[in-house]
Amino acid sequence: MRTTPSSRFEALGAYLPSTVLATTDLVAQMTGAPEFDLERITGVAERRVYNPSPGSGEDSLGMALKAAQDCLGNSRYTAGDLDVVISTSIGRFKDGDCMYFEPSFARMLARELGARSAIHFDVSNACAGMMTGVYLLDRLIRAGVVRNGLVVSGEQTTRVAQTAAREIADSYDPQFASLSVGDSAAAVILDESVDEADRIHYVELMTCAEYSHLCMGMPSDRTQGIALYTDNRQMHKEDRLRMWPSFHGDLLAKNGRTFADERFDYIVQHQVGTRFIEFVDRMAESEFGTQMPESLAVVEELGNTATTSHFLVLHQHLKAGTARQGAKFLLVPAASGVVTGALSATISNLGV
Amino acid sequence: MGMIIMAASTAVPQSDADASSVALAAKAAQDCLATAGLLPEAVGVLINTGVYRESNTFEPAMAALVQKEVGINLDYLAHPVPGGGFSFDLMNGACGVLNAVQVARALLETNSTKRVLVTAADVHPGGRAGRDDAYPYADLGAAWLLAKGTEPDTGFGQVLLRGSDNCGATTAGYLDISAAGPRGRHQITVQRDADWAEHLLDLTAATVTEYARTQDVDLNRTLVVCSRPTPDFAARLAQRLALDPEAVVAPDLPGGQSPHSGEPHTAAPVLGYLQAVEGGLAEAYGQMLFVAAGAGPSTACVSYHPQGR
Repeated sequence: MRTTPSSRFEALGAYLPSTVLATTDLVAQMTGAPEFDLERITGVAERRVYNPSPGSGEDSLGMALKAAQDCLGNSRYTAGDLDVVISTSIGRFKDGDCMYFEPSFARMLARELGARSAIHFDVSNACAGMMTGVYLLDRLIRAGVVRNGLVVSGEQTTRVAQTAAREIADSYDPQFASLSVGDSAAAVILDESVDEADRIHYVELMTCAEYSHLCMGMPSDRTQGIALYTDNRQMHKEDRLRMWPSFHGDLLAKNGRTFADERFDYIVQHQVGTRFIEFVDRMAESEFGTQMPESLAVVEELGNTATTSHFLVLHQHLKAGTARQGAKFLLVPAASGVVTGALSATISNLGV
Repeated sequence: MGMIIMAASTAVPQSDADASSVALAAKAAQDCLATAGLLPEAVGVLINTGVYRESNTFEPAMAALVQKEVGINLDYLAHPVPGGGFSFDLMNGACGVLNAVQVARALLETNSTKRVLVTAADVHPGGRAGRDDAYPYADLGAAWLLAKGTEPDTGFGQVLLRGSDNCGATTAGYLDISAAGPRGRHQITVQRDADWAEHLLDLTAATVTEYARTQDVDLNRTLVVCSRPTPDFAARLAQRLALDPEAVVAPDLPGGQSPHSGEPHTAAPVLGYLQAVEGGLAEAYGQMLFVAAGAGPSTACVSYHPQGR
């Protein structure tokens, strides 16, 4: 009898623009003289920013393509082997300042990569986009619809920081959170798991829609550019943040398990800021009544990179050897919507 | 057991006020739940497939805003519902709803949820499609409520999605931020290459032929319900495939819509389904083949056998 298949992370890739922007330099660009210490509040010291020149290949599509190619370079699959390509960029920029709604970036990427017959579609789910793509790919593999697939995202997130730097006056401004973002791309290939020691054990996601209006992204109506308006106080209220331990705890309890039973080696929170990560980890310790595993981060150097954040953390730490293969990871999304959930995976043979 | 359509509905703007894709998707979704006699908490996953939206909003997922309007899993702490409720946007131009059918089936087969709501709503970002002569689509919303069927050999078949390598013959919908200046919430460009319609017809005919061959579908005994990238697309597809023109249908705009307000976009498969059911064609043929074709260029096909025949 065939057991229900599971999926695993097979390969990971990333792309980071080479231009580094220090937080002090970003603050210096602001038109109004800020009365706050941005680096102290967010813990973000610097971030990468895209090169706007047309030949740089650092629009959302170009960066996604580079991350996908990097990922394929670490994979045993070629582009032609891919059964599905899922693109999850929040802002789909290509050809300079054009934000695309159709065709899907997934179609463009599949064509560029040479994934000629791959199923293709875009997913948009704010900062939980890549996690949502992984959730769907896991289900498509488990249902036998596909054997493998690529989830990819390229983010010119600092576009909202540029607008914020032009428009905001103080730290209570709804665009304040936009100042902590950074640009990047990441890509991950999943295929079927044949070994429990190399497996996505579960990925479960939830949207609590009452709070869907707390973070809205759209073009600015004051200056040229896109903007993100976040009610930070409501968005990061403890009740919002308690949704993850409540949901995750219920999920575990249904299977007669506790958080401590899971024996995670590492936890990866959404990279909002150093203080946010610390706060959520401490709150979870209190909710679950147990210590949190080592919390991995890249936010100090890369900022909040939106959809790519968990996968950049994995990429940077596995590559540097500061996280080890064979370990059990918990990835916790936190995104506008409000989206939360839990992805549990043992990662043993991940090409990075 | 296959996956079946438990309920279907469409929604059009009710006044001359600015249209909202969230409101249209939510209205169609609520109608589906009312038809099925279900409460919002019966829905585990909501997939929104609309492309064009109010103010060119890019965050959060429009699905989350629709979910809020429908009242699904508003606050898990205040009112925990087993399994919660989840939503996201899935976008692939005109093919989005059929992509969502494929994803929904995987969600049902892996017992991730018992029911999936698929919504598809497009509105001109500036408020009304009729005010922008260059914008080709209608302000329109639709929803399908999907669940596992109870009868063998019914429901949706496999989904086939094909893209063309010719990216020089397509439709592109985008906002040029620098050209729009501070008017970016209100503007959108839909640009079509010179031979896009002909090329899309070629891709669609090839995809339908491949589907019929690989999935063993007899096109002469099937009602083809196709999207409407151009007004004559169904007639031309019938001619290309040498099918009875009456067996290839594309949806008309629902009643009350001005003919100048554009073609149905992502909502087309749902609208076509409802018109086929209401016109008795679904009953007459027994089997349908949904065909969606649009930007990419991409074409998707999936067969459907209704229950209870």
